[in-house]
Amino acid sequence: MFTPKSYKTYIILLLMIILLQPGSLPAETVTDQVGRTFNVPENPGRIIALAPSITEIMYDLGQEKRLVGVTQYSTYPPEAESLPRVGSYVRLDIEKIVALQPDLCLAIKDGNPKHIVDKLVNLGIPVYVVNPRNLKQIMDVVTRLGSLLNAEQKAKELVLDMEKRIGQVQSRVKKGARRPRVFFQIDAEPLFSAGTNTFIHELIEMAGGINTTAGEVAYPRFSWEDIIVLQPEIVLISSMAGGLPPEYLLKSWQKWSMLSAVKNGRIYVVDAELFDRPTPRLVDGLEVIAAIIHPELFIKSDKRD
Amino acid sequence: MSIGKTIAFTTLLLCAVLIFISVVAISAGSSGIHFWEIMKTLTGKSVTDSATATIIWQIRIPRVILAASVGGTLALGGLVFQALLRNPLAEPYILGISGGSAIGAILAMLIGLSFFPGVALFSFGGSLLVLAFVTTLAGTALGNTMLSRDSLLLGGVMMNAFCAAVIMFLISMTRSFQVQHILYWLMGDLSSLQGGQLAILILVIPCFAVIFIMARPMNLLLLGRETAAAMGINVKNTILLLLIITSLMVSIIVSLSGLVGFVGLVIPHIFRSIFGPDHRVLVPACILGGASYLIVCDLLARILPSSGEMPVGIITALIGAPLFIILLLRGRS
Repeated sequence: MFTPKSYKTYIILLLMIILLQPGSLPAETVTDQVGRTFNVPENPGRIIALAPSITEIMYDLGQEKRLVGVTQYSTYPPEAESLPRVGSYVRLDIEKIVALQPDLCLAIKDGNPKHIVDKLVNLGIPVYVVNPRNLKQIMDVVTRLGSLLNAEQKAKELVLDMEKRIGQVQSRVKKGARRPRVFFQIDAEPLFSAGTNTFIHELIEMAGGINTTAGEVAYPRFSWEDIIVLQPEIVLISSMAGGLPPEYLLKSWQKWSMLSAVKNGRIYVVDAELFDRPTPRLVDGLEVIAAIIHPELFIKSDKRD
Repeated sequence: MSIGKTIAFTTLLLCAVLIFISVVAISAGSSGIHFWEIMKTLTGKSVTDSATATIIWQIRIPRVILAASVGGTLALGGLVFQALLRNPLAEPYILGISGGSAIGAILAMLIGLSFFPGVALFSFGGSLLVLAFVTTLAGTALGNTMLSRDSLLLGGVMMNAFCAAVIMFLISMTRSFQVQHILYWLMGDLSSLQGGQLAILILVIPCFAVIFIMARPMNLLLLGRETAAAMGINVKNTILLLLIITSLMVSIIVSLSGLVGFVGLVIPHIFRSIFGPDHRVLVPACILGGASYLIVCDLLARILPSSGEMPVGIITALIGAPLFIILLLRGRS
């Protein structure tokens, strides 16, 4: 064995060996979305996406050939399932990441643990952290990754498409006079919903509804008593709620016939993937719930699939 | 064999086991097996592939050192507490260390502090607070100055129960992705510490030394406090010193690894059933054996799951419980 002192010497030696290696790629200085500034190799060829949402954006940008690793549950697009896995986004396998010899890792602040990001940086792997908190910032992520990966044109097209579709929804919703009260159920048994500082809140408000669970706490818990007080007119249920089948989720609401949402049959199960990942697909989610909240303003068939 | 020879023999034997297991654990990992690279590195030849070198030197070796320290400390802590409290169910967390450190760690995570030093310091502080409370309670409030076994045990169990309720409350108030961090910490997990932070582990070595020196008094304490006092042992000071030293080293370890369970309970029993009750043999045996055991468990935690590693605390009990039952059955027949 060895003493910690000699151990440190080894690390310094190793770092020197790594740093002094000839033929390293020319680097450029970048600042990521949380304000960290560092060097990344120009046109990085080996990238690991540390969250499913980032994998998705890489495919959207047409840059999937650069991906050498992704995390568990990178299920969209389906092709991503065949890429090597480096653990789940909260529980990354550092050894596998190092073994894949990435030029760059793409991380997300709300998910990847900070100590793992720090560890990768200490091992000499540049980590670009994104931190999208709303749709505008998702567009910013797309733009940033586009310029990082020399895909500015594709990024611009994506952002323009998002802006156009959001604009369409907003202009139609303006005509709708009344904003119905919406309850979005993201989890069942126990029941959770979404507070103000979430994408779901932003989507509901943009789609012309009122989020009945707006508030400080991001994902507040509710009892049936609370829900009866909230009097939602429309209930949206995430298809992943509680890992339960949609029929069961719908049925659990039926016994509360005093709710206008139940009376009028306005309870819908929506595809969880369109709402729980900070990617351009949130716009699909927006179109889906806008059509649910204001069926009079949207013809259902014009939603993209 | 004289006692000196027995100590030397068991220590050397277990040292050999530890070294063998360490080499195996450094050779294997989720990215594959690198036995020949290890041999080359250990014999001074540099490895050409920089990714492999990084994996060996900066990921696996620090990890094995951490596992060894955690395993050795917890096994030794269990041994000391089982002797002091004369209770076979005693384990290193029994005086409330687990509850106190968990509350500290969870609070630090909720505030958003980084793992080191933030979470580690909070956890260490929480553990010390609870310990101070339990020992004062046992020492004075209950009206006896002898730190009676029962009041220590009961105080510890009550504090842990109270802390468990606080922990559950904190978890119920927490956002989903943070819950996962908290749960992993509670299960015991060696993946959070970074290589450069290992230096702090040196602090446990003097604790090992003090406990080894106290091995003979511990033997005498097993005969009962009156007998020990009659044989010239200052019972109260001995107990107090051992309590403090052991709790300190366990608190340091817990603050770095979370609550790795079962090692502290089962390893001392296993070695007692093999080597008998003499603490002069058991102290080094538990350190080395606990270290080897946790290195093996951690290796399995790193390589068994196909996607991401699992917390080592799961493996320690999965293997440890059946192993212990087998030993019990053998002892009977």
